Formats: sequence, structure tokens, C-alpha cells
Amino acid sequence: MTPMIDVVFELIIFFVVTLTEAQRKDETIELEDGKHGIVLTPEELPPSHMQIDIASRDRNGKYLPRGRISMGDREISPAEIGRRVKERMQKYGEFPVLIRADYDCQHEAVARVMNACTENGIWKISFMAVQEDKTSKPGRPGRKHLARLKKKAD
Amino acid sequence: MDMTPMIDVVFELIIFFVVTIQQEDTFSKLNANRPAPSNGSAESSNDITVTIEVGRGLDANGTLVYNGTRVRRPDLDANLREIAKTSKKTPIVIRCASNSPHKALVDVLDICYKNQLFSVSIFTM
Repeated sequence: MTPMIDVVFELIIFFVVTLTEAQRKDETIELEDGKHGIVLTPEELPPSHMQIDIASRDRNGKYLPRGRISMGDREISPAEIGRRVKERMQKYGEFPVLIRADYDCQHEAVARVMNACTENGIWKISFMAVQEDKTSKPGRPGRKHLARLKKKAD
Repeated sequence: MDMTPMIDVVFELIIFFVVTIQQEDTFSKLNANRPAPSNGSAESSNDITVTIEVGRGLDANGTLVYNGTRVRRPDLDANLREIAKTSKKTPIVIRCASNSPHKALVDVLDICYKNQLFSVSIFTM
């Protein structure tokens, strides 16, 4: 009996951990569709990769022209990103940078993040997009619906 | 040993997880290069340039300019398909207005990827 209980506990812990892991990101970001991109699987993201989130709005829904840049769950300045990129460059060499930017944010915000990377030697940048939209089902607002709502709010 | 209660519990757990687990979107990534600041403005003549503009009287979603004329997204797709027929290695330069929405950039990148043009660089105006 004991090995079986061990396995069941292992499974429970696995699910709890993966669920909390998935929640550790900025939920206000809505991504644009990119059906033809490289499908993101965990293997496509080595542990050394760096993900930078750029939201177009603050948590109350107010539009921010300069964007709200964060890593993990902490807001961060482009200068701080530059420092981190430099540090990691010295440790691992070149590493992939993935930008998860809201469809609505201005290019300027994205450019500031890209510049922070290029100034420290990272020239290849990846952008995250939605390959297949499974969550915009009836009863739950999808991207297009949200866009209309935001337009009304402005 | 009686296994029945245990199997009941395991089934219960499986049902719980199946019901509570949320289906997530699948994501993709689109790679691009950033040109070096020194040669950023000096484009070689065989580059294909797509410009994203935003301005008075233009589409707020970003107006695409290709070959000096405004194009809609399907037109750009058709143009890039022709280019991909000649050479898939053709470098594409996307020039973005700093006030253009990020979605326009992703749209253009997606069109490039659709036509298997992977040598894309992004230049900020």
C-alpha cells in the first residue's frame, strides 16, 4: 500500500506546484494572436531564459503610455533589466529573452526593453503570442471583446 | 487486501483534477533580431522593409506601409509570399513608429513566419 500512497502524494504535490507556478504572472496582459509562430513548449524555454512582461495598463485598468514592465511578479525599470541581463550574460553567456507584451502597449515600451537587452549584448529577442485561443469561450470575454470594452472605457 | 476504497479515492482525485484543471491557451514565440545601433539606419539594398505607422487619419491598429504604399494585412501577406518564392533568406526589416501598438508588430512578425521568412529585424523610428 505504501508505494501507492507515495505516488498519489507525489501527484498531488506536482499539481499544486504547477498550478501555483502558472499563476505567477501578470494576469492583465492580453497577447495578440500569432498562429504561425514556434509553438512554446517547456523544452523551448531553457532554464536560463529570461521573461519580461509588459502590461499596457495599471491594475485599475488605466492606460499607461509608457507601459508597466515587470519580471516574475515585480515591477522593474529598463535600467534594472539592463543590469540583470549583464549579470546573466557574464554567468551563462548568450541566453534567450522572451518578451510577453500586451497587444495594446505602445512600441516605445517594447523598444525600451529591447534596448536594455541590446546594450548588454542580447540581439535576439522573442515575442510571445497566442498560438491557439482556448480560453476565449462564451461567457468569458475574449481579446476582441476586451478591446471593445477598453475602447469604451477610454 | 481490499483495494476497492483506495481505487475509489484515486478515481475521486482524478475526477477532481479533470474538473478543476483549466484549459490554457497554447502560446507561440516569434523571434526577431535587433539591428546594431551603428548600422541600424544603413539598410542594405536587398532588404525588404515594412513600416508600421500611426498618425492622424490612420488606423489606430497601425498602418502598414510596404514599398511606399499603404497595404492591408492580407496584401502584405500576398507580397511576402511572392518574396518567399524567390528566397526565404531575404532579410525583412520592420520599422515601427514608437507610438504604434505592439499588436501591429506581432501581426507583421506572424505574417513573416507564415511565409517562412525568419530573418527579421526590428528597427524603432
